[in-house]
Amino acid sequence: MEILLLLLPLSVVLVFVIGAAFWWSVGSGQFDDLESPAYRVLADEDRIEPLDPDQSSAAGHGHS
Amino acid sequence: MYRVARAAGVACVASDTCFHCAAPLPASGSWSGEVDGALRAFCCAGCLAVARTIRSAGLEAYYRDRPAAASKPPRPDDTRGGWAHDNGIARRAGLLLPRAGGDADAALLLEGMTCGACVWLLEAWLARVDGVRSAHVNLALRRAQVRIDPARVTLGTLLDAVARIGYVAHPYDASRRDALARNEARVMLRRTVIAWLAMMQVMMLALPLYIGDDGVTIEQRRLLDWASVTLTLPVMLYCAGPFFRAAWANVRARRLGMDVPVATALAAAFAASVVATLNGTGVTYYDSITMFVALLLTARAIELHARQRAADALDFTARALPATAERYAAWPDRTSLETVSADLLARNDVVLLRPGAAIPSDGRVIEGASHVDESWLTGESVPRARAAGDTVLAGAVNLESMLVVRVDEPVDATQLAALTRLVQNAADARPPIARLADRIAGRFVGAMLAVAAVSALCWLIVEPSRALAVTFAVLAVSCPCALSLATPATLASAAGALARRRIVLTRPEALEALAHVTTMAFDKTGTLTHGRLELACFEALRPITLDRALAIAAALEHGSEHPLARAIRTRAHRAAVANDIAMTPGLGVEGEVSGVRWRLGRADFAGGRDDTGAALPTACTAVVLGDAQGPVALFGFADTPREDARETIELLRGAGVRSLLLSGDRCGAVEATARALAIGDARAALTPMAKRDAIVALQDRHDVVAMVGDGINDAPALATADVAVSLGSATPLAQCTADVVVLSGRLSDIPAALALARRAHRIVRQNLAWALLYNAVAVPAAALGLVSPSIAAIGMSLSSLVVIANALRAARIPGV
Repeated sequence: MEILLLLLPLSVVLVFVIGAAFWWSVGSGQFDDLESPAYRVLADEDRIEPLDPDQSSAAGHGHS
Repeated sequence: MYRVARAAGVACVASDTCFHCAAPLPASGSWSGEVDGALRAFCCAGCLAVARTIRSAGLEAYYRDRPAAASKPPRPDDTRGGWAHDNGIARRAGLLLPRAGGDADAALLLEGMTCGACVWLLEAWLARVDGVRSAHVNLALRRAQVRIDPARVTLGTLLDAVARIGYVAHPYDASRRDALARNEARVMLRRTVIAWLAMMQVMMLALPLYIGDDGVTIEQRRLLDWASVTLTLPVMLYCAGPFFRAAWANVRARRLGMDVPVATALAAAFAASVVATLNGTGVTYYDSITMFVALLLTARAIELHARQRAADALDFTARALPATAERYAAWPDRTSLETVSADLLARNDVVLLRPGAAIPSDGRVIEGASHVDESWLTGESVPRARAAGDTVLAGAVNLESMLVVRVDEPVDATQLAALTRLVQNAADARPPIARLADRIAGRFVGAMLAVAAVSALCWLIVEPSRALAVTFAVLAVSCPCALSLATPATLASAAGALARRRIVLTRPEALEALAHVTTMAFDKTGTLTHGRLELACFEALRPITLDRALAIAAALEHGSEHPLARAIRTRAHRAAVANDIAMTPGLGVEGEVSGVRWRLGRADFAGGRDDTGAALPTACTAVVLGDAQGPVALFGFADTPREDARETIELLRGAGVRSLLLSGDRCGAVEATARALAIGDARAALTPMAKRDAIVALQDRHDVVAMVGDGINDAPALATADVAVSLGSATPLAQCTADVVVLSGRLSDIPAALALARRAHRIVRQNLAWALLYNAVAVPAAALGLVSPSIAAIGMSLSSLVVIANALRAARIPGV
């Protein structure tokens, strides 16, 4: 069972890595609007939506 | 903020003359404001305002060229510097609203509020500040409405007072609120998900110990414990942060909030577990701690989401207005078009409205013709034609072609802004039921701490090894959140749901009062009916078609603004051409159409006889078309009931609410309407005071009366009724006295609002009953040692989730 000495700390480190990745993804605004991106995929136009958080939140008001 | 300005060591330039106008400072005290990097003294608020304007326009070089110039550049965040201590400027900026008796209302935007207990803490704290008359804190909008005596306290003092107890306050500003809301949601999501992640891992590590100690060696056990403490540490330090901060703020203010037992339990359990881990013996509670935090944060996250949705819905008015406007800097020079912030529009500014644009401020069209959609403000769904000379309202949308509009009122003085202020004031004040819940929660927490202390003492005597686990269980299991968290959440959800239907409350007690209504009194004209005359019947006395008769009538009434003339023109498909039109006021009009002389008007005028209209139903207004030989045709005009009026009355009857018709109109018309709508009790020809007396008589019989009405006629009745409801198209005066404004203008929204209010009321009571039952069972069980810490954590969290989930039901409108 000596392998636990390696695997347990490894799993803890992994959790911290996942936590850090999640922290970053929230900070980058990926969870701010969970509704409109789903609709945006369906839009036919080939234009790129602005990524500025203020812009995207303004665009999201239509759904709230 | 002003505090920052001082802390950063901004120089305070001592002077005995005004920085702006160099006049000697008044002996009674001067104004001060930060300009050009220093706190300057000003002789008056006006000078300070000018200095601020110069500063915000980036023209401070003017001051720098003078000998007394300072070198430190201004910080953008310091724009609120000195004026926070000047109520005159705050008032002009719309941050202080003057009230009766020289008082003023200040709106503060608060950061760092976590729960209903914070509301109670802030309210109690602010109320102690000298010069504060009352403070109402709204959790849904995170705003404080503070009524102050401007002579004794300034906005800056309030901001300081709030900061001292661990919150941050800003004077209210809508765009800032959006950024705050987004940030708060992000942080909450991070905390919750990280707590869940840690919880899942800690549970996995705890599983071998759950199964049994047999297969686990001491070394492995220590390894598991150390891994657990590593995972729990971020939960304690980051995820549980809000609980500790709130509890600390509570303790410092010598108040008890619902986070005090939570924080105590967490700290005690964690400290004991760490000691056990370091010693290598003893019980650890990492599984309970992470689970407790994760589940509690989940409940708070749901509550935050509901709160933000409600706040969004209440903020509809701010969203209806555009942020910028296209202004002609030097009308009528058309090349001078510039884009400015809508806030900067002043009276007599001329703006260009493109099709599809919302109108920034109330004004008057000076050029162009278009249709505008005013449904935001009036509930009128049909677009209105607007041409030169017509007024347009802020928030309306220009639909077709360009309009040039002269602004009548600055943006904050528009009808829309007035209504927004009313609604937000109502949302800020706390209804009696929420205040009661807060008071009970405070006592409840106090009692809980006492119970925990007593049980800890008893267990220390009886069985010291279990004392800690039992105390933790008692503290964790008690749940005051049904009181502190769920009641405001229910009321906010309900208000938000109503606002989404464009029904707004202008008084905090309105929802509760609406839930108790037993009788609903309606005005007739404009409320149950459309308020405009329509052709109801037609009778040809000599051979003539309806079309032809209408064409002639429309030709004769061409250009007249009389309601009857409008009704005729609306109905006529084509108009003939009339010459030589002559009007006799009060009687009618005559003119020549296709060589024949026609008369239109009262029976005695147009037909030469008095009895022509007798055949018509009494509800109709008769108009006779006649020629030289006598009457030719008879039109009957009536004010028709709204399409949803009958349905509304039936829905109300189904809900056990009696409907009553109180009208100032003639008996015949009132009876006809009452018959059409199946209203049993209709009273006609009432003066405004008689309407009021009728409501008082009902109230004497212990009926709770709601009055639905509009206009000046109804003002006394609306003021007397327990709940005053006005339809959106009603006059501004009625909106001011109304508790509930149905902006959608749909009559059938009234029963929906009633059902929603009743349901919200029921949910509050359900939650209180649940809290009573749960705590009565759980707390004694925990004190007797029957509940393990992890079960206690689950129990309290589930109870929280139950009341929050129940509160969210208030956001759904029944039957929709």
